[in-house]
Amino acid sequence: MKQSAVDAVIRGLKRAGVSVVCYLPDSLFKELYPALDADPDIRTIRVTNEGEGAAICGGVFLSGKRAALVMENSGLRASVEPLARMGLGAGIPVVMLMSYRGEMGENNWWAIPHGITMEPVLNALRIPFRVVREEDEIERAIVDAYQWSYAAYYHSAVALGGSVVR
Amino acid sequence: MKRYDCMTLLAKRLKDELVILSLGASVDEWYNAAPHMRAASLFQQQLGCVTPQAFGLAAGLPHRRIVSLDTDGGMMFNLGILATLGNERPENLFVVVWDNEQYQSIGGPPTHTALGRVDIAAIARGCGIEQAHTVRDLEDFDRHCAAGLAAREPYVVVAKVAGTVQPDIRRKHSDGREDKYIFVRHVEATEGITIMGPSEHN
Repeated sequence: MKQSAVDAVIRGLKRAGVSVVCYLPDSLFKELYPALDADPDIRTIRVTNEGEGAAICGGVFLSGKRAALVMENSGLRASVEPLARMGLGAGIPVVMLMSYRGEMGENNWWAIPHGITMEPVLNALRIPFRVVREEDEIERAIVDAYQWSYAAYYHSAVALGGSVVR
Repeated sequence: MKRYDCMTLLAKRLKDELVILSLGASVDEWYNAAPHMRAASLFQQQLGCVTPQAFGLAAGLPHRRIVSLDTDGGMMFNLGILATLGNERPENLFVVVWDNEQYQSIGGPPTHTALGRVDIAAIARGCGIEQAHTVRDLEDFDRHCAAGLAAREPYVVVAKVAGTVQPDIRRKHSDGREDKYIFVRHVEATEGITIMGPSEHN
């Protein structure tokens, strides 16, 4: 990621009122994680799997603070169980920011499953999402996701793809 | 040692704390053992999510004591949270694991702790949670509740309890959604904050 895209993500998170970020690092966002760690206004929590991160974000919601789950899109699959339980069973929302691995242009065979499954899994959970491939749309997409999730009390997602992450 | 008797002891020590708890019969037992904590307790029907949610709550409200009432099945489902707690070192999170060595809510097939080899407290200590203890009697349980509720570091108590359920207890009628609203309104009222506010006029 370019520094300007990293800055746009952090601007969006701050405009949305986010003060806690749970993450499991990946390669496409590799410049984002240390920037989040270094930001004095954001507490980062490193997790062992994204499902654990989703549940921690749910707990942060209950405290009145705002959290984000940042991950590769493969982490969505690891999060399905807690997302289904919290979102559909209790109305506890989690906002996710994920890198779009496996989309057109992918050159790693192991990332193909991530691209094939991401949108169907989001759709199966009825999670609205926006795929952002232009840097100047990042900030607005993140703010919009929080607006929607705090009106619906349900999950939403922003996937960063294209030249934003490559 | 019966879980319900442990809950009765723990309930006597709670007043302003917030509680996240696990699924199955322990929900109805807690509903009866701690009637004064009903609005302050979030009943979550989620294996593997209880302690992570409690930690998220503890991270968001660092001045408030949070109690996680987890289970052996729930903790085995997501052992990674112990590593996260070991690294993050929350100063306001007390974790109780009701270890009855079985998946009680589906009739009692054994969990991995049933053979006596798997030791959740030892796993927690291996994750850097120095205060992780297995207890087998009520006196010891009560002593660790006192210490855990005052600790300034993560504190895990694995309570070895019988696989029985307290008879003739009143069932909870609310679902997860109603429970969330009750809990959120309680947190809002006691913290003086807004979590689920009014709609915009536009």
